[in-house]
Amino acid sequence: MIAPNRYRRILLLLAGALTASFLTAVAVGAVWISPWTIVRLIAWKLGISARPAEVPRSAEVILFQLRLPRVALATVVGAALAASGTVFQGLFRNPLADPAIIGVSSGAALGAIAVIVFVGSGALGAFAVPLAAFAGALLTAFLVYRLARIGPAVHVATLLLAGIAVAAAISSVMSLVMSFSGEQIRDIYAWLLGGLVGQGWESIGAIVPLVALGVLAAGLTAHDLNLLSLGEERAAQLGVEVDRLKRRSIAVGALLAACAVSMAGVIGFVGLMTPHILRPLVGADHRRLLPAVLLAGPILLILADLVARTALAPQELPVGVVTALLGGPFFLYLLRREGRPRARA
Amino acid sequence: MRPPRSRPFPALPTLAVALAVVLAGCARAGAPAASGPSGQTASTTGAAFPVTVTDDDGVTVTIDAPPSRIVTFAPSATEIVYALGLGDRLVGVSGPFDDYPPAARSVEEIGGAGEFGVDPNLEKVVSLQPDLFLTIAGGDRWKERLRDLGVPVFTIDSTDLDDVAHDVGTVGRLTGATDEAAEVASELLSQADQVEQRVAGEPAVSCFFEVFYPPLLTVGPDTFIGDLLDRAGCDSVSEQAKADYPTWSVDDLVREDPRVYLVSSESGVTAKAVAERPGFVAVGAVAAGRVVLIDSDLVSRPGPRIAAGLQLLAEALHPEAFE
Repeated sequence: MIAPNRYRRILLLLAGALTASFLTAVAVGAVWISPWTIVRLIAWKLGISARPAEVPRSAEVILFQLRLPRVALATVVGAALAASGTVFQGLFRNPLADPAIIGVSSGAALGAIAVIVFVGSGALGAFAVPLAAFAGALLTAFLVYRLARIGPAVHVATLLLAGIAVAAAISSVMSLVMSFSGEQIRDIYAWLLGGLVGQGWESIGAIVPLVALGVLAAGLTAHDLNLLSLGEERAAQLGVEVDRLKRRSIAVGALLAACAVSMAGVIGFVGLMTPHILRPLVGADHRRLLPAVLLAGPILLILADLVARTALAPQELPVGVVTALLGGPFFLYLLRREGRPRARA
Repeated sequence: MRPPRSRPFPALPTLAVALAVVLAGCARAGAPAASGPSGQTASTTGAAFPVTVTDDDGVTVTIDAPPSRIVTFAPSATEIVYALGLGDRLVGVSGPFDDYPPAARSVEEIGGAGEFGVDPNLEKVVSLQPDLFLTIAGGDRWKERLRDLGVPVFTIDSTDLDDVAHDVGTVGRLTGATDEAAEVASELLSQADQVEQRVAGEPAVSCFFEVFYPPLLTVGPDTFIGDLLDRAGCDSVSEQAKADYPTWSVDDLVREDPRVYLVSSESGVTAKAVAERPGFVAVGAVAAGRVVLIDSDLVSRPGPRIAAGLQLLAEALHPEAFE
């Protein structure tokens, strides 16, 4: 347990870092838009002040149609991935759980692709792809949980193997579904490769309520996840309805992962790294961890995307490449550490 | 001096599969004819067999007699064979992209095999008993296997427009249709030359060539299309790209503000859809209605219609020079 004062300071620090990385990411790119210009343009959009006359129209379009939506999307997706990772790690009582590693993101992708191929991406409105992704993620999460759980425990090896096996099977089914597609193949590639590019305000607006719902539900399960960390039996003795809790946290983790995947494709390791970096700072209590990861996940993804679009500018990299370059070594380090027997705190 | 050109998009390494499938998604009937009539049988007089030629993979191939059973494994190779009047000797083509001339659609398809569905079906190739297998760069493993199976595999890798003319000549030598090849090649070069003459007096126009969106993919300077853009009088936004098919920043597109926005028809969009994308409204070409769809078959296939592709680009960039 850390002192409430220190916890508050850490949250404030994270909030400050999030604001700073948000503003930096919005300012930096092919055209530099100074934070002062950004503030004045936003003030003008909100009707507070007059339009700054010397700012060219191109800077205005870049700000409102390209940078802000992209960074806002990175914020929402980063938060969703980090929260999803936190919930899954709590549920599996296993620090290597991440929606991408355990195959849930692949399940979400399969759901999304199936809708694009068989129904069409625009047919059911903005919610069709996220909902199908949710269905895919939910089924995958249940399946992996069932496969990975031996007796009361979920071991590292079985969890990873189950995740890999299910993800491999899903990727075959994905290829199969895609072989049924005709003209929609372009929509599929746009969806698979698009990442954070090309999303307008409407699609971000559609996803925010779903993410908010997921975050709220995650917050409501936080206390029970703490008790679950004592073991299922102890948790049951302390009044947790363990089966219900498991179903609920699978649904919550899947919903958050599906939101992220349906907007930005499969981005790995954000859900893995964020809770890990924060646990030593704020402790393992999910009620404290969750607000912290909701601030830190966006920082991680915003900065990863900043690297992705500036490292080779004016060429861009997929953001998933950057998170994987960071997360891969991190994962291997954790895997080595988890493999060793150690005392539980 | 131009740097060496790399191959046109069917052989893209990373996005090969993606674009191959994208191509498949928009297979359509052939575009207006640009090359001469096809279908007549070529004369083989004047050609000396056996011919020995080293192909663009560096493999030396000897053809003993004028081939009578030709298999092509690239739409461009198919177009060359028809342009030389050898259509009646064609016994196999790669697949549904071999759509020009339309007669090619009825030739047996030998593609669609391999892990990614982009290799030839070796059993089918062997069963057709080809005495010439014409293809483009890539696929070293299956090429080796075909050679082991006794199939004479010949690779043409046209790096730019001049090289297309040269490669047409090579196919002429291999098939004995040397006169026809010389005619097609010189026609192609003179047609291209006329286009280049027309735009020579015009200042280069800043332009951008879209391959796909989203993410926004374009062409680098060392590509086949990069060469055509250069010849057509385009001052390309992606001139400094290090990769051949880079993902481009839309921010940078807005900053560069090209006057003409060219969209590969493969991208599958309309000018209206381009204008509706976030941020594109600030691109001068979009605001001025100068978004032009370019038939990708004409600019990406290193075959006899490439001069028509060049003209298409030049007209889009310099309409005033063609009035």
